[in-house]
Amino acid sequence: MDEHLLEVVRALHGAVKQGVSQSKDPKIMDKAINDCKEILDVIMAGKVQEWLN
Amino acid sequence: MFTDKIELKDFDKMEPEYKELLGHVLAIQADCEIGGPHLYVEKMLPAAPTKLDQLIVARTAAEEIDHYRKVARVAGDLGVDVSFVLSQPNEKRFVDTFRGLITTWEDNAVFGFLIDRVGRYQLEEFYDCSYLPLQRILPDIVTEELGHIEYGYNKTAELIGKGDEGKAKAQKAVDYWYVKALDMFGHTGSKRSERYRYWGLKRRSNEQAREDYINEVNPILEKIGLKVPDPLKGRHYL
Repeated sequence: MDEHLLEVVRALHGAVKQGVSQSKDPKIMDKAINDCKEILDVIMAGKVQEWLN
Repeated sequence: MFTDKIELKDFDKMEPEYKELLGHVLAIQADCEIGGPHLYVEKMLPAAPTKLDQLIVARTAAEEIDHYRKVARVAGDLGVDVSFVLSQPNEKRFVDTFRGLITTWEDNAVFGFLIDRVGRYQLEEFYDCSYLPLQRILPDIVTEELGHIEYGYNKTAELIGKGDEGKAKAQKAVDYWYVKALDMFGHTGSKRSERYRYWGLKRRSNEQAREDYINEVNPILEKIGLKVPDPLKGRHYL
C-alpha cells in the first residue's frame, strides 16, 4: 500500500510539474489536468483491493 | 506525567492506555489527511477558476495523500491498520468538518485558509511528543500544510479584492468554516485530551489550542476586512 501510494503521489507531482512548467500551452495544461483527474478518480473511488491486485 | 521518548521497539512495553491513545490519534490524523481530498477533488478539480488553480488543487490533493501515507506507515508499524479510511464515505469521517462536499470556489479557498490551519495546529500538538517515529514525519507535512494555508488565504483575499460580491461570498464561507474550525479542537475540559497530555502525546488542552487559534485567526480576518463570526453560534463542541 505504501509503495502504491508513493507511486500515485509521484505520478501526480509529475503531471502537475509538467502542466505548470508549460503554463503557456493550454493543450499541455489540459493533458496534465486530465492525467491528474484520472489518477485522483481512482484514489477517491477507494477500491483498495483493486489497487493492490 | 510521562516524559520519556520512545521508539517503535519500546512500544510493546507501553501500557494499554498509551497504545490505545496513540493508535486512536493516528487513525484520526490519517482520516483527516485523506478526508480533505475527498471533500474538494470531485467538484473543485474540474471547476477551479484557472487551469493553474486546477493543477494546484491536484497538487494539494497529492500532498494530502502523501501525508496520509506517512501517518498510515507509522500506524502500520504499530499494528494499527488505518487503510479503512481510504474507502469510507465522507459521512463516516471521524471529524464532522470532513463529512460533506465542497462545491464552491470560495468554500475551497476558505477551507485552506481556516481548516488546513487547524490541521497545522493538530500536527503541532505532536511536536516533541513521546513517540519519536511520529515526531520525525512532522516537518515535511507541516511545511506542506503551510503552503495550503497560504494558498487558501491568498485565494480568499483575491475574492475579497474583486468587490462586494466576492467579499460577501468570502464572508459566507468564513461564517460556515470558522465554527467548524473551532469545533475541531474538541470539548473544553476533555478527559481524553488530559490523558493525551499525560502520556506526552499532545502539548495543549483543547481549549488552549482553540484559544491560540482564535488569537491567530481573528486579527487576520479583521485585516482582510471580514467580520469575525460569533464563536458560539452553531458550535457542537464547547
